Parts: sequence; structure tokens; C-alpha cells
Amino acid sequence: MAAIEVRDLRKKYSTVNALDGVTFEVKDGTFFGCFGPNGAGKSTLLKVLTGQIEPTEGEARVLGLDVRGNGVRIREAVGIVPEVESPPSYLTAYEFLYFVAEVRKIGNIEDRIERWLRFFDLEATKGTLCKDLSKGTRQKVMLSAAFIHEPRLLFLDEPFVNLDPIYQHKLREYLIGLREEGRTVFLCSHILDIAQKLCQEMMILNHGRVVAAGSVAELTRKEDLESLFLRMVSDDAPA
Amino acid sequence: MHLLRMMLREEYRLHVSYSSARMFLAMPIFVLLISLITSLTLRNLQATIDLEDLMLGLNAGVCLYGMSVGALGFMGRTTVERRQGKYNYIVAMPGLLPMSYRSTFLGMYVRDIIFYMALILGPAALGLAVAAPLAGYSWFAVGSVAVTLVLSFLLGISLSFAVSVIGSRSRPALFLLVGAIVAVLVGFGVFRLYGMEAFLPSIGFQTALPPFGQDYGSAWYHLVLSVLSFLGLSAVAFACVAETYDGDVKRRASKQEILPSYLRRFAFARSYRPLLAKDAVDLLRSGTIGKISFTFIAPLTFLSFSTWYVNNGLNVPVGFNLVFYASMVGFFGVMLYSWLTNMDTVDYFETLPVSPQKLIRSKLMMFLLLTTGISTSFVLALAFLNGETRLLWLALPVLYVTSAYMVVSMSYLTGLHPNSYLFNPQVLFRFALISMLPQIGLTILSFSVDSSPVVAATAIIAVLGVLLAVTLALNRRLDRRWSSTGF
Repeated sequence: MAAIEVRDLRKKYSTVNALDGVTFEVKDGTFFGCFGPNGAGKSTLLKVLTGQIEPTEGEARVLGLDVRGNGVRIREAVGIVPEVESPPSYLTAYEFLYFVAEVRKIGNIEDRIERWLRFFDLEATKGTLCKDLSKGTRQKVMLSAAFIHEPRLLFLDEPFVNLDPIYQHKLREYLIGLREEGRTVFLCSHILDIAQKLCQEMMILNHGRVVAAGSVAELTRKEDLESLFLRMVSDDAPA
Repeated sequence: MHLLRMMLREEYRLHVSYSSARMFLAMPIFVLLISLITSLTLRNLQATIDLEDLMLGLNAGVCLYGMSVGALGFMGRTTVERRQGKYNYIVAMPGLLPMSYRSTFLGMYVRDIIFYMALILGPAALGLAVAAPLAGYSWFAVGSVAVTLVLSFLLGISLSFAVSVIGSRSRPALFLLVGAIVAVLVGFGVFRLYGMEAFLPSIGFQTALPPFGQDYGSAWYHLVLSVLSFLGLSAVAFACVAETYDGDVKRRASKQEILPSYLRRFAFARSYRPLLAKDAVDLLRSGTIGKISFTFIAPLTFLSFSTWYVNNGLNVPVGFNLVFYASMVGFFGVMLYSWLTNMDTVDYFETLPVSPQKLIRSKLMMFLLLTTGISTSFVLALAFLNGETRLLWLALPVLYVTSAYMVVSMSYLTGLHPNSYLFNPQVLFRFALISMLPQIGLTILSFSVDSSPVVAATAIIAVLGVLLAVTLALNRRLDRRWSSTGF
């Protein structure tokens, strides 16, 4: 069964085609990587798939739900780490996680919060307002908020950004665990060496189009992911 | 100069992003037309309102507008300390680039003066100038009105800039300054110890010139005083801008976890419970509750007390009755909605199973929870103070219906971003129409409550019926209007 199905998806902003006929599928239980240079359309794709914005044309289904008109139901079922870490300014880290748990109507709130506070070593800063936290700590809070309800599908937009190497490693190990459990992850990242270790399937976007897609093992048999990426997004790459 | 140009461009692009370049550039034309029509009908307006009172009200309004856009000490600090969702601004750049906060704050201040003069005051003065030959106003009078409005705006923005910059550095100093301003206003409004020119010297400039007077010496004195006050307040503000914004240790200290207790208090709100609880916490911690007190509760208290004092202390009958005040509170209270939507960014809701329309409805619920008690207390207090309890049966429905009508109209038109959408002339025009027509109708009808009670009450009830029907219709359409937009 496909966790994500996308057919000829287009998103137009004024005269700019942010997504220009994107087609792909992510099977349930796959760790899927979406790569591309800045402005390739990755964040737009992620916003369309999580029902934050509607596509201009084409079809997209997430966990069997049409992205048009089902944003709330999709966000109920999935976990999202956005591109910009911006938890609410006037809640403490602990309160934000409590708030997320309440909005998501999940039980056993205290235990779940404690687990993620411990995982990211946030106990000492759990009472600090989010606006007064460092960028890295805010990112840890956003990651905790995305993981707290243990969703079967995760959308991660640059999850490693602002994290120090210790927590990058810790997060990578956690994501490997998710892959082994058979959960589905849709990852957008520029950190290609980490992505190569994590992803089973991948695609490269450039100017809103899919320029390469397939299994990571196959695509990187002759060259590493970074070389493939640079070749596919260079100016003289085949369209 | 380069920094100022960049800031002006940034401000323009920000406003254009709310609607479109065409819509934004239509704003000064809209202001010009309003000013032109008002100027042409001024002589008719003078039949009901004294010209001096009109001028006083206009300048007080312009000064208040200047104050509202000039609180850069607080706004700038917020911008420096946290990212505004997807946006970041030049004023936050000194942390990264070799620029001083003092010069960027000064740039922001000059930018706002230029921006709002070009957007509002310039077109308003131009409208008056266009009307002058048609309505028979002298060019001298037009010039003096324009200069007075500019001075009032500059005094408002500089006072607000100075108080906010000092206030962002020291809370006791803030309370002291606000207390002093309130004391000066009470001296004028309640005890009539001096004229308004003691607080707003631009008024002294205007009243010394034709058609109010011909004391050119006094006009020069008040002109120089206005300019010196503006320059003095600006210099104080500039000197007090902090050069570092690393945040103090006390603010970073651990806070008590209060959200769970608010979740229990809002249990009645079911699925809206977390949203209301979060808003309550935001109200307290963002200082918005203080802003609401200052901009809503304090003026209402001041108005109640002055009405009572003028009626009973000075034995001067005030022409307005309880029904008029109830409608004014209903219309006036809508500003609280914009405070509620402006407490914090809402970007993180994109990661949660919450729709924009649900968030708008939670703001409406919080608005009603906040204002119902305050507004009712105000109307009850006025009824008892002025001996008008006989009008409560009519005044309270007027209050509740106008409050609901105004806030639902505002949320329908502007969603979660009233401060931004009201810069779109199309939205502003619709909002002005929606709010002004019933307000004028209810005001006129309220004047007849004592002379023809049955006719006036029947007409008021009919107006309330129409407003209620519109409120329910807009409330039903709210979901469709905002369901396909993001946060």
C-alpha cells in the first residue's frame, strides 16, 4: 500500500511554477528522501502533502486521504517538523508539548513528555519560554512535538539543522530505529551523507520537477549521493 | 540614507504581501476620497457638531494613531528577540552586521513617519486642498489644518517612541510615565484645569489661527513648542535605545507551568479547550492583558468617570445617554480582537491538526469571554452613576449585539491578520461600511430615546434584528471564507 501517492502535481505562485508535474509514490514503511537545491520546490511539496496549501493541479493522497480539504485529518495522522523552528513564544518547552498532546488528544501525556524531555536532555530548560530558548533547543522541542504521538508517517524538513553533532547522531539513530520498525518517513535535507545512510528510496527535485528517482542503493551504485545530486542539478543536466 | 531607503522598501513589500501592489497603492486614493467627501460635507456636519470639537477630536485621533504606530521600543525589541514566523526584518540585523541598534531604530522611526505621512496624512491633506475651492475654504485654513495634523501625528509618534523605549528598559519608569500622561489627561478631561493644548500644543497652534482666532503670537509659540517637543522626545528615545539585546538572565529563568491549570478552567470549551488555555497564557505572559487594560478598560473607566463628573459634579447635562454609550462600547471593543490575533506567531499550527477557521473561532470565543464581563460592568456602572437604569433593558442588548456584530464582521473580513488586512483598501472600505452605517444609525436613534421612546426603541430593536441576522450569516460563511487559506 502507498503511504503517499502523487500524480502530475502542480503548484503555481503567480508566474512561478513551484511544482511542475511532480509524480512519485512512497510505499508504506519506506524511508524516503527528497533532495534538491534551494528553491527546488521541496518545502512547497511538503506543505501540499500536509494540507497546508492546496495544489493548483494534479492529485496527491496521503494515507489514502486526498490532500484537498483533508488538511486537518492528514495532520492528525502524521508528524511534521517544519523548515523554520518556531514554537509558540510564550509557552515553556514543557507546556508546548502538553499543548500539542492536548490538541492531538493523546493519553498518558506526562509519560510521553518526560520521554522526549529525557531523549533531548531538555529537563533543565523545560520551564523556559520557547522564545528564550536557543535555536538548537527550539529545534529539539519541535522534533519532540512531531514525535510525541508516534505517528505512522513523518514529514521532516531539515530535521538536523541547528542540532549539534551529538544530537544529530542521536536523532539519526532514532530515525534508523523507525525505519527498522517499518514506519514511513518523508525526509527533506541538504545533509546528504546522513540522508544517504537513512533513505531507502529517493528523488531529486530541480525547478519543481523530478530529475531523478529510485532506490538509493541503485542510484548510488556508481557514485555517491553528493556526486549524483551535483550532476542532476547542474545547468547542463538533462531536463 | 541607504538604510532608510531599504527600510522603506521593506515596509512597502511587507504591506504589498498582504494584498497586492495595486490594492496597497489604492489606499492613499481611498483616504483622499474620504477626506474630499468629508471636507465637502463639513458645513452640514457643523450643524450637529461644533467645528472646534471636530478639530479637537480629529487631532486627538491623529495623535492616538501616531502613538499606536510609534511604540517601536516594544515592537522593535520583539522583532529583535524573536523571528516573526516566516519574516525577519532589517531592524534585527545589528546582531549579525556591523550596524548599531540606535541607528536602525532611528531608521525605523523615520521610516514610519515618512510611510504614514505618505499613506494617510498627505492624501488626507490633499483631499482637503482639492475640496477647498469647491467648498470655499481659504488656502491659509487648509494649510494650517494640514500643519496641525502633521504636528499632532509627530507628537503622538514621538511620545510613544520615547515611552516605549524607556519602558522596554525599565518597568517602574514606564509606569511613572504612563501615570504622568494619565494625570495630565485627567486634569484636562475631568477637572478642566487647562485646555487640551497643554498636552497637545498643536491644538494651541490651530485654535490661535482663523477661523478659531487671530493670535499669531500664540500660534508661533505653540508651533515652536510642538516642534521642540517632537525633537526633544525623539532625542530622548534615540538616546535610550539599548545597544545590546542579549536578553536578561531573569527572563530566561524557569517559569511556573500554568497551562495545565488553564486547561482545567476551560474544560467547558471541549475541543477549543487547548486553544483557549493557550490564549489565556499568552495574554498573561506577552503583556497583552496590560495593553488591553490600557487601551480598553482605562478609556472606559475614564469615560464613565468623566461623564459622571460632568453630569453631577459640574451639573452640565451631557447629551449622550446609556444606549449611545452601549453602542459605542460594542463598536469600540472590536480592537481587542486585533490584540488577540497579534499576541504571537501562528506558524506552528501548520504542524498541528487545527484549521485556520477553528483558530479564528477560538479567538472569537476568547473575545467574548474577555469583553462580556468588562463591557457589561461598564454599562451597569454608567447606568447607576447617571441614574439611567431604566434604559438598561435596551442598552444591554445594544451592547451585546453590536459587540458580536463587529467582531464577527472583523473576523470574517480579516481572519487571523486584522492589522494586515485593514491596509487593503478593499477590506478597509467594506469594514468602514459595515461598522459606520449601523453606528451612525444607532447614534441618531439613541438621541430620540427620551423624546419618542416607543418609536426610537422599536427602530433600535429593528436595527439590532438586522445586525443579528448579518452576524449569523457571516458566522456561517466564516468557515468557507478561511478554509482554503493557510495560517
